[in-house]
Amino acid sequence: MTASRRLIRFLLPSIAALCAMFALTAVIFILGVLLVRGLGSIDWAFLTSDTRSAGAEGGILYQILGTLILIATALAVAAPPALAIGLTRVVFLRSRPRAARVVDALLHALNGIPSIVFGILGLLIFLKFFDWGKSWLAGGILLGVMILPTLTVSLVERLAAVPRKYIEAAVGLGLTREQIITAVWLPQSWSGLLTGSLLGLARAAGETAPILFVTAVFSGATLPTGIRDNPVLALPYHVFVLAQDSFNDDARANLWGAALVLVLLVACFNLAALPLRLNLHEESRHV
Amino acid sequence: MAPCAKLYRPQWILWSCAFGVAVTLATLLAALLMLVWQSLPVFAHSGVGLLTGTDWYYPEQIFGALAMIYGTAVVSLVALVLAVPLALGAAVLSAEYLPPGPRLAVKSGIEMLAGVPSVVYGLIGVLFLREWVYKGLEPFDPISGDSLLTAGLLLAVMILPTITTLCDDALRSVPAAQRAAARGLGLTRAEAVLHIALPQAAPGILAAALLGLGRALGETVAVFLVVGRQDGQLPGNPFSLTAWISPGQTLTSKLGGPETHIAFGDPLHWSAMIGLALLLLLFVGVCLAAAWGLERMMRRSTDPVAEATP
Amino acid sequence: MSEKNTIAHRATEGTEICGSGCGSSSATSVSPCEKNSPLLRVRNLSVSIGKAAILDNISLEVPHRTVFGLVGPSGAGKSTLLRCLNRMIEMTPGARVTGSIHFHGQDIFAPTFDSDVLRTRIGMIFQQPVVFPTSIERNVLFGIRRLRRLSRSEGTDLVEKSLHEAALWDEVKDRLHASAQVLSIGQQQRLCLARTLATDPEIILMDEPTSALDARSTEAIESLILRLKTERTIVLVTHNLGQARRVTDWVGCLCPSVSTGAGEMLESACCDAFFGSETCRRVFRTLADDETLS
Repeated sequence: MTASRRLIRFLLPSIAALCAMFALTAVIFILGVLLVRGLGSIDWAFLTSDTRSAGAEGGILYQILGTLILIATALAVAAPPALAIGLTRVVFLRSRPRAARVVDALLHALNGIPSIVFGILGLLIFLKFFDWGKSWLAGGILLGVMILPTLTVSLVERLAAVPRKYIEAAVGLGLTREQIITAVWLPQSWSGLLTGSLLGLARAAGETAPILFVTAVFSGATLPTGIRDNPVLALPYHVFVLAQDSFNDDARANLWGAALVLVLLVACFNLAALPLRLNLHEESRHV
Repeated sequence: MAPCAKLYRPQWILWSCAFGVAVTLATLLAALLMLVWQSLPVFAHSGVGLLTGTDWYYPEQIFGALAMIYGTAVVSLVALVLAVPLALGAAVLSAEYLPPGPRLAVKSGIEMLAGVPSVVYGLIGVLFLREWVYKGLEPFDPISGDSLLTAGLLLAVMILPTITTLCDDALRSVPAAQRAAARGLGLTRAEAVLHIALPQAAPGILAAALLGLGRALGETVAVFLVVGRQDGQLPGNPFSLTAWISPGQTLTSKLGGPETHIAFGDPLHWSAMIGLALLLLLFVGVCLAAAWGLERMMRRSTDPVAEATP
Repeated sequence: MSEKNTIAHRATEGTEICGSGCGSSSATSVSPCEKNSPLLRVRNLSVSIGKAAILDNISLEVPHRTVFGLVGPSGAGKSTLLRCLNRMIEMTPGARVTGSIHFHGQDIFAPTFDSDVLRTRIGMIFQQPVVFPTSIERNVLFGIRRLRRLSRSEGTDLVEKSLHEAALWDEVKDRLHASAQVLSIGQQQRLCLARTLATDPEIILMDEPTSALDARSTEAIESLILRLKTERTIVLVTHNLGQARRVTDWVGCLCPSVSTGAGEMLESACCDAFFGSETCRRVFRTLADDETLS
């Protein structure tokens, strides 16, 4: 074998390994920095008390609550259409591949829309047209539309993996399409919606741009009491504002703490979705 | 009644699904139309000048986005040039060389990068990357660590996991029989990767790069924090790189900034901002459409073994 | 044909001696040194994949320029054995190999033995033909291009020679630049053969090369094998006993053992001897569902 072939045989995996190591180093660095600088600030008081002195003292209670309110709203907004689109895509459009492709393309497109465009749209609709002032509901709705593709794709994947033999058996028993949906499709695939929901929640929790204009304030809000002029605090926005004014050293420690809490929150949802995602791969191997 | 006559059953599931889909579609369409409608004034005012004008100065109603388009392009280019080779390398390792256990570990590790919210990336950019770039560029006497380059570097890490996962999928979709045939001829593993797997996975890899590009184009928060947000930084000479190491502005950093609030009062200013948002949508849309087309092409040419007529 | 008997006798190990004069014509002249040392010698080969035992203590010898057939019921491990001969077993995760295989007297599993080089000298044809998504010409030259630089004229000559040897030249000589994927499956298999022949291997391993093909292509490949064995050695896995009878000089029969389920070598004998034996009749009965003895 020529020397050059031997050289390439050695170089390719080596270079590939270096690339992978770079990526993994980045992961370790980011997580490491967060833990090292943020862990110290987190204690029970931090998580349950109000912010004081523009972030230099106190905790992030209302930021956490605000984020939770926003993502819960987002889920409530996204789940029904996701179910509708998912069922339509798999069950009703089974015999119309062209329409199915259109639906896929639309979901793909929706998923790729930059988050700032959602923010601008929110400004346009909720502030200009509806004149809501800053509102938690506006943010929730925007986030909901943003995570709609995440939920739908996950549901569609799971629906598509339902073995044909169950459907055929149900048809053979004389069930109507609607009955088959409630008796076979949904029971077999609800885990897809669950997975999608968890992933969607993770995504919504970390987003800043959609809530930048229409929902979040840095201080002054606790829990909303109505819809109009009822902003909330949010973890990503909190970090965003503090990151722009990072010269106050006291705030810096809390800033890392808030960032770490945000990352952990997102990670919790992502990890919770993991077992279900691995399960899907298992089952599709048997089918 | 005849035994098999059709009973009328209310198909409420069908109707609610149709309703859900219709509402979603209508909302999206309405949103798009609203954007277009709201941006009309600025196109009436500046026409194509919105895209080709080099200055942006709203107090005098000068709306030229070319510098921002340039900034967006540079930032995305830097991100792609760094991320695609790294992602491809990591994907080659995980798809071609690693056994299932370590492969899952490496893939999961890299996917964790995707789970970090963009604002946290921005934070790390502000507190670390900015300093590193500033120190690294000292021979060039930079103004600060905020620059198009910094934003590009940060974006590269952000889009790395997406491109890696998609490249890995593309490589894995090349049938194992092809590699086995190559190895059976005496080709080394590296040669099988270079001459069989990579060429056949090329459309998928290209699609991955395009999707990464789409993501890079649309990223706001992280770019906002480290790009410097300086308007009008279009270099006179297209080949000069000084603009790369100076603060700049991208479409997203402008949109995410204070001007959006300021524009609220002035209809023309407001429509200019909407115009920027539409431009952004257009660029991202082209990337996604191209990626979509490539993915369909890849899916169509999956199994090359012909069941052709004898 | 007493010369053949002597070889047969020395080549077998503890198995049935070929008593009757072997009528099978192996019209090759065997050189003195080749007479004494088989090209491939497998000793006590056992293979397991994960927890499952696939092969148990296989020993056989493949003489020069013969066609060695491996027959037996499905699941006996014939393909696995074949994959050991060119070390492609190493690409199966979890595979463990014990025992030795000697090629020209050298242990192929030795750490200093380059497996990539081995595969240029021991080629392989798979059950499903795998053509690369490129032109016919490029397919043929795919392997040999790595081994040495070929000038343009050398390349075209080699393409013609290999395609002739694989009996495909007349059908494709006018469309060498066309995509290989439009060929029929029988033609694709011959193209794979041409591609392997271009690297000039001493041994060609064939894993059920005709089971995906129609009768006409099968016939073509079988006559090809008979022609090839004048120059090269072939190890052929087949579950078609008729094919084995038509084409092979030597037959090794693998059957899964009742105790472990791993394949073991029941018998290794020269062709005619095997087909008269009791073992053959037993195996024939188990294979009767899938194949006919034609």
